[in-house]
Amino acid sequence: MDPESLLALVETEHPSIRRRSHADRPAVSVPSGELLAVMTTLRDHADLRFDLLLTLTAVDFPGEDRFELLYRLYSTVHGLWLIVSSDVPRSRPVAPSVSSLWPIAEWQEREAYDLMGVLYDNHPDLRRVFLEDDWVGYPLRKDYQDEYMLELPK
Amino acid sequence: MTVHVRTLDELLHAPLEADSDLTTQEYLVNMGPQHPIAHGSLRVVVRLDGETVKEVIPVPGYVHRGVEKMCEHLNYRQVIPYTDRLDYLSAIMNNWAVAKTVETAAGIETNDRIEVIRTIMAELQRLQSHALWWGVTGMDLGAYTAFLYGFREREIIGEIFEETIGARLTMNYIQPGGLMYDIKPDFAAKVKKLLPYLKDCVEQYETLLSGNVIFQERLRNVGIVDGARAVALGCTGPVVRASGVPLDLRATEPYGAYGKVQFNVVVGTVGDCWDRYYVRLEEMRESIRIIEQLIDGIPDGPYSTIRYNVELTLPEGIHYGQVETARGAFGVLIVSDGKREIPYRLHFRSPNFNNLWVVTAMAPGWRIADFISIQSSLDLVIPDIDR
Amino acid sequence: MGVALGKLPGIVERFPGGAMAITRLDAAINLARSNSLWPLMFGTKCCAIEMLMATGASHHDLARFGAEVARASVRQADLMVIAGAIVKKMAPRMRLLYEQMAEPRYVIATGSCAISGGPFMYNSYTVVRGADEVVPVDVYVPGCPPRPEAFFWGLLTLQRMIREGETIREPGIRRKPVMAALPEDVSLHEIRAEIRAALANENVIDVTQAANQKPWARKVREWIQRASLR
Repeated sequence: MDPESLLALVETEHPSIRRRSHADRPAVSVPSGELLAVMTTLRDHADLRFDLLLTLTAVDFPGEDRFELLYRLYSTVHGLWLIVSSDVPRSRPVAPSVSSLWPIAEWQEREAYDLMGVLYDNHPDLRRVFLEDDWVGYPLRKDYQDEYMLELPK
Repeated sequence: MTVHVRTLDELLHAPLEADSDLTTQEYLVNMGPQHPIAHGSLRVVVRLDGETVKEVIPVPGYVHRGVEKMCEHLNYRQVIPYTDRLDYLSAIMNNWAVAKTVETAAGIETNDRIEVIRTIMAELQRLQSHALWWGVTGMDLGAYTAFLYGFREREIIGEIFEETIGARLTMNYIQPGGLMYDIKPDFAAKVKKLLPYLKDCVEQYETLLSGNVIFQERLRNVGIVDGARAVALGCTGPVVRASGVPLDLRATEPYGAYGKVQFNVVVGTVGDCWDRYYVRLEEMRESIRIIEQLIDGIPDGPYSTIRYNVELTLPEGIHYGQVETARGAFGVLIVSDGKREIPYRLHFRSPNFNNLWVVTAMAPGWRIADFISIQSSLDLVIPDIDR
Repeated sequence: MGVALGKLPGIVERFPGGAMAITRLDAAINLARSNSLWPLMFGTKCCAIEMLMATGASHHDLARFGAEVARASVRQADLMVIAGAIVKKMAPRMRLLYEQMAEPRYVIATGSCAISGGPFMYNSYTVVRGADEVVPVDVYVPGCPPRPEAFFWGLLTLQRMIREGETIREPGIRRKPVMAALPEDVSLHEIRAEIRAALANENVIDVTQAANQKPWARKVREWIQRASLR
């Protein structure tokens, strides 16, 4: 399936999603409220079968007051690629957990929570994964401050 | 409680939880962060009932250096040395992932010579990495001899790297647009001389360890995970191939010179520790085959197509590239704002972080000694998990 | 007697008035300590492959220096090789490992990360800038990662420090930490020659020559000359 027909198929299944420009692979943008429904379709649709969640991460845009969540899906059955992006507000960064669809998402979401502070609804065990439990702040946010951290002198 | 066992077969297949009316208590055992099988500093909390593993809780983060944050302050060429320090046993392949992503995004052309040398180097390092893994697995399971043999081959391949690259571990070799250094005139002759030796070595590995009864008993049918489950748990590389899923980026989306060579994607049938062991041994043979096909005809040309002091600015958007390292798919996700020569956000999709969590599905029900086999068969590199 | 004096001059000493020989306990203990270091199996990052695994394997062979008995238990180890970056989550655990080690304990920090944070010094929110913020380090071995030969150089430096170091009366008082930088253009061959030379000559002191070099020697010689002239 070529990228164009893949995007067309996804759009017919869920009319609310938009194509995301500025990406090197087929990419769609999904409202966070429908994320779980779209992901379920993407995993279970017979022509799609996206069974491998390669990456789950978040990008911080403090100027636009949003986090962009990026999911990179791969289908080992059909050899397809798809980027799913979803925006959550920075003031209330809550997104549905996809760990019920892909078990690996449980730990990838823990990483996103640990470093970026994105909260996931219905996550079985949302704890920090790399940092200590008493760590203050989310270090990958652009406005993170740490008195121990050294800036590279110019 | 008395357990009557008549034959060895019966002993091996006896139910793991003895049917006893003794009340037992579950307890937690902390393995790591300083533990001989951790191969670094991974901490694993194991919930045990007697000797039977009930639950495994990996606790990573003891080498978390925040590389992704640091990369937001570095330009694309400065990112490459940091990828050496993630999965240091696949340093060249990690370099390649960044170089490939930047080249695709910035539209930098490379030539055949660069791609062929990159492929040969990557396959040599895959051989080196698997040789090291073979030795360390042997050591974990009580065969110290294997460790000495595995490191023998590592040193011999390392001499070739040292001569070309000047480093033993942190290579910093593949750059966007080319290579750091050209190969030496006698590189091809040296590698060609080495290949028959390495072939013999793989045969030697079989004789030394594969046929060993204790070794087989500790690996066969231990830690079985089926293909669908392995994929759902995010596994890539030899771990998922051992479960019968032919997911190899060298074959599914050929990069470098992999499109020009013949090689087989090695898959397992059962998905147990033995399959994961044997897939890697077979992969060593395939790597030798790939190098054999390329080493005779290294094309001529420059070893870099761009000057290294050029400031690279990627177009705005998401750029993703990935390569197949010795442990699975290593991906680089670059979010660029199109204005500066540093990434706005850079994320590494590390194969080890995603391969680690399959232990939570594999280990329950097995004895604590089998847990060692399972963890060893995953071939984890801890700094790549933590990043 | 001749053999022992030739080989172990720091231990067996000739009394000024006769052929009596005694063993200095400190020297004997330090010699034993320096040649039977038991490293702890503790590595955090890339350096561990080079420092603890490659050196332990057959090509480089740590056993030549009597330090091949890598122990997984801290209680049995007396040498901690810090191989790799120490992050904030690891630092208290490493301190705990250090405190549990058998005394006297020695620490070698290998690689840039363990010396100063190295490549992770700037813009990293977790890396501790140098293992000496956590434990006292005896020998620093620079490199990223250092070659196994460089590590051996560091180990030999540590052995020399131990031999010249602590006494029973003042335990814990030892030489200041040093940077065991491998000089440029030094090959494995030269290190082997150096080791051989060190084993043969390093501890030998030519007493006659040393005595002649003392500042008082010249004055005494002058007195004698003056007296003989008279």
